[in-house]
Amino acid sequence: MENRMNQKTYHRSKIVTVFFLCMLVFLGLAARLFYLMVFQSEYYSMKARELHERERSIKAARGRIIDANGKILADNKTVCTVSVIHSQIKNADEVVAVLSDELGLSEEYVRKRVEKYSSIEKIKSNVDKETGDVIRARALPGVKVDEDYKRYYPYGSLASKALGFTGGDNQGIIGLEVIYEEYLKGEAGTILTVTDAKGVEQDEEGEERVEPVNGRDLYVSLDINIQSYATQLALQTMETKEADRVSILVMNPQNGEILAMADVPEFDLNNPYTLPNGMDASAFSEKKRQELLNAMWRNGCINDTYEPGSTFKIITAAAGLESGAVKTTDTFSCPGFIMVEDRRIRCHKVGGHGAEDFVQGTMNSCNPVFITVGLRIGVERFYSYFKQFGLLDKTGIDLPGEAGTIMHKMENIGPVELATISFGQSFQITPIQLATTAASIVNGGRRITPHFAVRAVTTDGTDSQSFTYPVRDDVVSAETSATMRYILEQVVADGSGRNGAVEGYRVGGKTATSQTLPRGSGKYIASFLGFSPADDPQVLALVIIHNPQGTYYGGQIAAPVVRQLFENILPYLEKK
Amino acid sequence: MAQRNASRRKQDKGEKFMDYSLLFIVLFLVGFGIVMVFSSSSYEANQKLGDSTKYLRQQLFASILGMVAMMVVANIPYHFWERFALLAYLGSVVLILLIIPFGYSSGGATRWLYIGPISLQVAEVAKLGMIIFLSSLICKLGKGVRGNKGFWFVLLSPVPVALMLWLITNNLSSAIIVMGIAVLMLFVSCPDYKRFFILAFITLAAAAAVVFYVVQTAQAHVDELDFRGGRILAWLDPEAYANDKAFQTIQALYAIGSGGVLGKGLGQSMQKRGFLPEAQNDMIFSIICEELGLFGGIAIIIMFLMLIWRLMIIANNAPDLYGALLVVGVMGHIAVQVILNIAVVTATIPNTGISLPFISYGGSSVMFLLIEIGLTLSVAKGIRLKDL
Repeated sequence: MENRMNQKTYHRSKIVTVFFLCMLVFLGLAARLFYLMVFQSEYYSMKARELHERERSIKAARGRIIDANGKILADNKTVCTVSVIHSQIKNADEVVAVLSDELGLSEEYVRKRVEKYSSIEKIKSNVDKETGDVIRARALPGVKVDEDYKRYYPYGSLASKALGFTGGDNQGIIGLEVIYEEYLKGEAGTILTVTDAKGVEQDEEGEERVEPVNGRDLYVSLDINIQSYATQLALQTMETKEADRVSILVMNPQNGEILAMADVPEFDLNNPYTLPNGMDASAFSEKKRQELLNAMWRNGCINDTYEPGSTFKIITAAAGLESGAVKTTDTFSCPGFIMVEDRRIRCHKVGGHGAEDFVQGTMNSCNPVFITVGLRIGVERFYSYFKQFGLLDKTGIDLPGEAGTIMHKMENIGPVELATISFGQSFQITPIQLATTAASIVNGGRRITPHFAVRAVTTDGTDSQSFTYPVRDDVVSAETSATMRYILEQVVADGSGRNGAVEGYRVGGKTATSQTLPRGSGKYIASFLGFSPADDPQVLALVIIHNPQGTYYGGQIAAPVVRQLFENILPYLEKK
Repeated sequence: MAQRNASRRKQDKGEKFMDYSLLFIVLFLVGFGIVMVFSSSSYEANQKLGDSTKYLRQQLFASILGMVAMMVVANIPYHFWERFALLAYLGSVVLILLIIPFGYSSGGATRWLYIGPISLQVAEVAKLGMIIFLSSLICKLGKGVRGNKGFWFVLLSPVPVALMLWLITNNLSSAIIVMGIAVLMLFVSCPDYKRFFILAFITLAAAAAVVFYVVQTAQAHVDELDFRGGRILAWLDPEAYANDKAFQTIQALYAIGSGGVLGKGLGQSMQKRGFLPEAQNDMIFSIICEELGLFGGIAIIIMFLMLIWRLMIIANNAPDLYGALLVVGVMGHIAVQVILNIAVVTATIPNTGISLPFISYGGSSVMFLLIEIGLTLSVAKGIRLKDL
């Protein structure tokens, strides 16, 4: 008993010591807890939220493409994607029955996907909004209907090669759609949902949305009326002349705005992966199929070069006049051919044009006259004019894949080459380059940049961004330009281009007939470049007919196309 | 004071003392534990087993069984257990050895024995056995415990059991707790402080040496470290091992940190939804913090502190040394386990699997803890009120 009492004093104090030691440690732990839950709380909350939240993107509506009249050329259609979330399905049989019925899919196909153990399984995409709404209204657990945008082109194949189309992620693939991707695509938004570790959404936690920013509407200079008519004419010409391809380019020579760009056959923008009619996609290998599609999408006005032939005489004439190598009053004599070194180069008129001045020579499209002028200009001067006219660069048009000019190197140009260049042979340029250069020569000497896009406007219209394009003033003098307008008006009024004349309007222009390479293939390209009014050009059109059957002279088959086009659009443009 | 007056009146009528404060604290912790086990396990139990109340029912069953056992033990005079001292020690050893042929594995460790439908974690038996054994031993040694011979005898006698727990059941935390119980009981029995300071110093130095060794080895060859070495690295820099070694630690920190001051509300934890695996087990404190905030976490720490305070009062007023030592053993057990658990959950020390007394899911743990509380209640009954 005494022993016990004796021990008790230090037992007690030691037990109390143990208690206070514990309290000290507990206090330390509480302090640690305080640090974690007050000072570190924000950091760990953020980390935890990152872990718990799943980000789903909300697509932004792609900007529309709108023509000069406000008509929508490229629009968005709301479509739905129907998917199932395995873990949330309550009644699998009902889901299979409803989905196979509404979507027109086989029960077997749907069941396989419904029963697949995955976080989310897509059943069908590009479902009509109406069908999507019906399925959503059934409110089946585990069935998700997500809305999405699909590009839609109200005019089908119209201006297909200029507009271009979009791919699976709504990104531009060709044409304006790809060049103006930055403006059109907008910015995707996000939905943040809270999920458990397996990804099952926790409904009670709600969701956080960051709204998408829709793409800007792109206003272009294309005029749907002119484009329609040009396409119609091109198709008609291709059919009647049994041609391979017909391109029609209509632009405003004053500022470079393109009013129409048709390159038939075009393709259906709403089904860009369907091969041209009659072709069975399954009959070709993957590579071959892609080649065929690329050929179908190719824009002949931009992507391909050709030998311009006599329309290029506009450039030779301008260079000759500008350099002083020739005056309108200079007289020439054409015996039907001209000797350049040891080569005898024929004129298209076998008997020769006889005596003629420069204006008459142009009206006759007389090769010996232009060869003479070309030789007078000389290689170096001619070449520097090419540069000055912008012929050796690309035009800078706002379409992808513009081809460059294929021209001899200056040091390789001898008299024979110079002679052939003078009347538009032995080199290649794109139609857009020819049209742009001709426009620059007749518009007073300003090199303009051909383009479609005028401005990009936000969907709510609050912000509008206008596009500006480079203009260079020093192409030719105003005097030379005026002379050129006069000469080219004469060509149409009473020369080789008289089939391009339109009653009541002053039209200037130049015809061309060129043989395609290799020579002797019997294939020709007939073309005509016209503009009006001849004294103050407001519209310029270039028609190119590839491989017409029967008559193949530009003056006979291409000039009438421009006449028909002008007969329609000149009064229309006057009214605007 | 009211309680004291009431007790005094009872005493006057010849009734025995019952520590209702202790009983209330324990019942609160057990009840709170059941709620938190349900809260932290129901989502995953529903996802994996389609039965959200599975863990709740098991915990409820073990708790009821434990409370019955507690009341039975509370009504047996504690000296009854003195004669089983050696049996308690040898019984623990045998049970641990039985793990080798009959053990049941779960989560990569073999720690359970099945007796019919009931699974028994032998470490829990060993902790109780050690308290009973050492209480008798120290009493028998009397003043002899103060000498170096007695000191070392008491200190080394639990070592075989601790080593077996560590090596056979791969349960270092239980081994630490067994040793912790022994050291605390010895500390209380000896009048001096010097030897314990030295002991504490050696322990800390050894721990520091281990950490230093692990860090050095890690810089040279990571592959040579076992999983415990890896846990030390994970503790030093949890973010760097967030996807493997420190996964649990990081997830617990996310839970604690995202709770903030007021918490997300009971049942609103996100981390229990598959992010923190087996949230109802060792890491349950982090879910408490996430749902009930800093206030909830501190409140639980205060409850445990009050529990230890009650145990201190009982130990200090125990009728004899044996009773006092029994209560000190229980006090040491609970204190060490709570401290280690909260320290692990808050990444204050390296991760070692250790449950939170009364609250974590685990039938054996809650049952044996309640039996230990029964022992202290029995000791409390012997208190003469004039000693209070």
